[in-house]
Order: sequence, then structure tokens, then C-alpha cells
Amino acid sequence: MRRAILLLVLVSTTASAQLPGLRRRDPGPPRPPTVAAPILLGIDGLRAEFVAQSGSDKVYFGGDSSVLTPQARATLAAQAQWLRRHPELVVRIEGHADGSDTRDHALAIAARRAEEVRDYLVLLGVPAAQLSTVSWGKERIAVMGTSPDALALNRRAVTVLVR
Amino acid sequence: MTFRTALLLMAGFAAFPAPAAAQQPAAVVIAIPPLTTPDEKATGPDSPRAVAWQASQLIASDLRTTAELVPVGPDQKDYYSYPEVTAPTFSRWRAKGAKFVLTGFVRSRPDGRLTVGCYVYDADKGRELGRTGFVVAPEEWRRAAHKCSGIAYTAATGAPGIFDTRIAYVAESGPANERVKRIAVMDGDGNNQSFVTAGDTIVLTPRLSAKAENLAYVSYVGGQPNIRIINLASNEQRPLVPGSAMNFAPRFSPDGRRIAFSMQAGANADIYVADSGGGAAQRLTAAPGVDTDPSFSPDGARIAFESDRSGTQQIYTMDADGSGQRRISFGGGWYAAPVWSPDGEWIAFTRRIPGAGSRIGIMKADGSGEKLLTDGALDEGPSWAASSHEIIFQRAGPDGRPALYRVTLAGGDARKVVTPQDASDPDWSGVLD
Repeated sequence: MRRAILLLVLVSTTASAQLPGLRRRDPGPPRPPTVAAPILLGIDGLRAEFVAQSGSDKVYFGGDSSVLTPQARATLAAQAQWLRRHPELVVRIEGHADGSDTRDHALAIAARRAEEVRDYLVLLGVPAAQLSTVSWGKERIAVMGTSPDALALNRRAVTVLVR
Repeated sequence: MTFRTALLLMAGFAAFPAPAAAQQPAAVVIAIPPLTTPDEKATGPDSPRAVAWQASQLIASDLRTTAELVPVGPDQKDYYSYPEVTAPTFSRWRAKGAKFVLTGFVRSRPDGRLTVGCYVYDADKGRELGRTGFVVAPEEWRRAAHKCSGIAYTAATGAPGIFDTRIAYVAESGPANERVKRIAVMDGDGNNQSFVTAGDTIVLTPRLSAKAENLAYVSYVGGQPNIRIINLASNEQRPLVPGSAMNFAPRFSPDGRRIAFSMQAGANADIYVADSGGGAAQRLTAAPGVDTDPSFSPDGARIAFESDRSGTQQIYTMDADGSGQRRISFGGGWYAAPVWSPDGEWIAFTRRIPGAGSRIGIMKADGSGEKLLTDGALDEGPSWAASSHEIIFQRAGPDGRPALYRVTLAGGDARKVVTPQDASDPDWSGVLD
């Protein structure tokens, strides 16, 4: 249950952080708790700290594109800074496509998005051995609907701290 | 198509000669009097008499799904004697407006099995057009009936019957962001549903070999999308190629010996071909970008595929060794998922049109003669019926839930295929042996 709430918080944070065009309707979620609390020494705590200090665990892409936007590069720079301090972590970059793409092209472009993120993180000094990628194609839709905003929120790559 | 809608269509054809309707050939009537049996005494669900009646109904129901034939019958009044199977009273069927008539019989054998025989005649000329016969276990009567429907369809259209076939698809359940997906297989008429995978991992794009003996699909079981091949009789399965590189979009060659597919190396997906029994993969494309969804021509000599090497997804063809790559789609928007028709005439595709969603269409193998067949918001994933006259595809509703639909090349609205759960990624086999 706590995980679910935390996840919700993350989704709304990153949505507004990454897409300035999207109106924020609530006053904004509370910041995740800081690293000081002993309960946060586990992977959940590290994930929370990662998101808090990187701004987001997600970057977003244009339609049919795997090009990193300036905003995505800024987020990844912050992610890299944090990840370099945690070489002990196993990290997986998960690429996604939006639901308007066809099944197999979605798999390929989502893989390409994950690769772009991985390559950029490596360029910024994160050890390549620490990073793996997987493509979810359009199999894990985050936001339902076919509106341009919904599609944009699904074209993403998520930096997942595995363990 | 029911008899009534066929009449309406024909009436509409006369009153409003719209371009689409003008291409629709008028459906012709085939009389389906009940199959007869020489074994009059036995009754019960497995008796020849009961099977003959059910088989007659199934044949009529099969043919009713086609655009070309309008079955009339079976009607209990129209019983005929065993000798009349091969000597029907043609004048009687001509008087009822039938161009074709199908007769047949079901006979019990000493070993407990049944012999099913069917004959198709041209009612005008009084000439036999085809016949078929089987020995089946009583519970397998449906396949024999589908074979009878098949010879009737072939006699009327010259194309293979689509009735004794299998359809593989992905059965979906659960909330939209956490779908449970299972590979399912059913008969061409929706009967005989069975699951091939357990639903504990995401599976995609089942593809049957021509006779539905083997099935290739994509599974996340190893953490990455990888192609697996399963023998549907033994349930034995294995990965298509060794290693963990993502590979996907499998499609059997018409003879079942090869599989064309995509493999991702870094940011680049290329098309490969491998022996379906195992062995090293041979790379066919090397363009930067996404090359995927390969589909063999019916002679196995060429491959249609999709590539975004030009900047957007477009359809290309090449020889089966990778030479002679050539773009064939130029209509604007994106073209995806080409599938070569069994008769070699057409390539079906998904066309993404900015602002209008995605539709199913067809074009000749040289890119000419393009036409769109559907008007859904999110249609994708076409697969041909063995007849090359019809296509099954996936349509997502406004709520995002997918279902299977069929559409004929002759025109008309797509019809929903009833499945027990939501369904995506359909693949229709050729006619079984």
C-alpha cells in the first residue's frame, strides 16, 4: 500500500516536472521523506532519494522519436550524479512506447529509447556494467487514453533501481 | 452475412451504385439440404443421424460467414435418400434459386468411427464440382463438416475454404496497466478455445505455421522479449535463437522451415532469418533504424517488411536473401505490419494516419492499387484468411480494450469475432491437413 501511494506521488511529480504544458491541479505532493529516517535504508528509501535528488526517474520523448530533449538530458545528468555515488546498485532502464504505435514498432522504438538513456548515463560516468535495458513496447501503459497528453506521458524511459 | 442482409445489400446495389458496392459481387445461393444417413435406426447424440443434422447446420453456418455464398437450409423437409446423395433432383433446387447444391452422408463404421462424405454440384448444369470424404471419430465431426464447407466455398469461388483452420491470438484480462496476457488458439469458427501459455508473463504476437502445427510467439519469460517456438501437439517449446538480445516479430515461411524475425542490437532492429528447427540466424537487413514485421511471399522467395529508414515507418520488399530492398508505400502517414496474402496478390498493412488513428488496408506487391478496408480509430495487426478474400485484425475500442474483427476485401463493415476475453494480435492459419 505504501508503495502504491509513493508511486502515485512520483507519477504526478514527474508529469508536471517533465511537461510544463500540463496543468497541475493539486498544490503539489509532499516531498518524499529524506534519507535520514532509518526505515529508508532499504531499496525503497534509495528509490525515494533517487527521485527526490534527480527530479524524476523518468524522461519523456517526442512522437516516433528516441532523441533526448534538453529537459531529458538535464534529468539524466541529475540521475547520473546520484547513480555515480551508488555503484553498488543494479539499475534497469525500461523503455516504453505510446498506444498509438503498432505492436512491433513500439517494441523497437521503446528499446531504442532505453538504449539512448543508457548511453547517455554511461557518457556521464555511470559504469556501463551497472546498467541494463528492457523494452516494454506498449505493454505497460502508464496513462490511459488517446489524447496527445496521454500519449506523451507514455513515451518514456524509466530508470529503475532493481536492487 | 444473413440472407436478409444479403438481399438488402443487393437492393442497395441496384438503387445506389456507390463505388464500393459496385465491386461487391452478388452473393449466390447454395442449397444445403440435410446430410442423409443409411443408418436409420440409431438415435442419440453420437448417432449418424444426429451428427448429419448438426454437420448440415454447421456447414450452413460456415458458409453464412462468407461474402460470396448465401446458404439456404438445412430444412428437415428436404431429406433425401442415400442413393440421391450422388443423384440430386437439380430442378428442385433450381426452382428455389440455388446455383449450387451440397449433398452428403454420415455413415457409421464397425470400428465406431463415422464416414462423412460431401458433394457439391452446379445446380444449373447438373454437374459435380467437388467431393470430399473423411473417416472421423464421432466427436471430431466438426472438422469433417468444415471440410465440406471448404469444398463448397472452393467450388463457388476457386479459393481455399477458410473453415478447417485455426486462429491464434493473445487473450487479455485484468486492468489496463497490468494486463494478463495468454496465448490462445481456437478453431476458425471460434470453437475449441484453448490456452497455450499460463499468463504469468507477458506474451505477444503468436504466429502459426501454415498448418497450425507449430506456433512462434514472443515472451518476456527471460526478462527480455524473446521468440519461442512451441509444438502444439507435444507442447514442447524452446527459444528460436540462443542469447539474450531482444528478438521479436516472428513469421514462418510458407513451408514452415524458416522463420523471419527482428533482432535488436543496440538502437538498431534488423531482420534475420533462422531455421525454425534451430541454428544460426542470418542477417538480411543492415539499415540504421527499425526494420521489423517481415512476412514471406507465398512462394517463400520474397519478404515484405516495415522500416523507418526513411524517417517514418514504410513498407519495403526484398528477396528472401536480403537483396533487392525496395520501398513500395508512398501514400503519406506511416505504414506498418505488412502481411503477404496466401494467393500472392496483396500485401495487407496497418496505416497510421496522423490525427485519424490507424486502419487496415491492402496494396499490390508493387505498391499499386492501395485501398483501406476499415474505419476504426485504432485498428492494427492484419492477418489473412486462407481464401485471401478476408482479413482478421485487432481493433481497440474507445476504452482501449482490444477485440478481433474480420473484414472482407469485397467491402462492407468489419464484423466482431466473439472471444471469451479481450483479444489482440490475431493470426489465422492456412487450411489444415
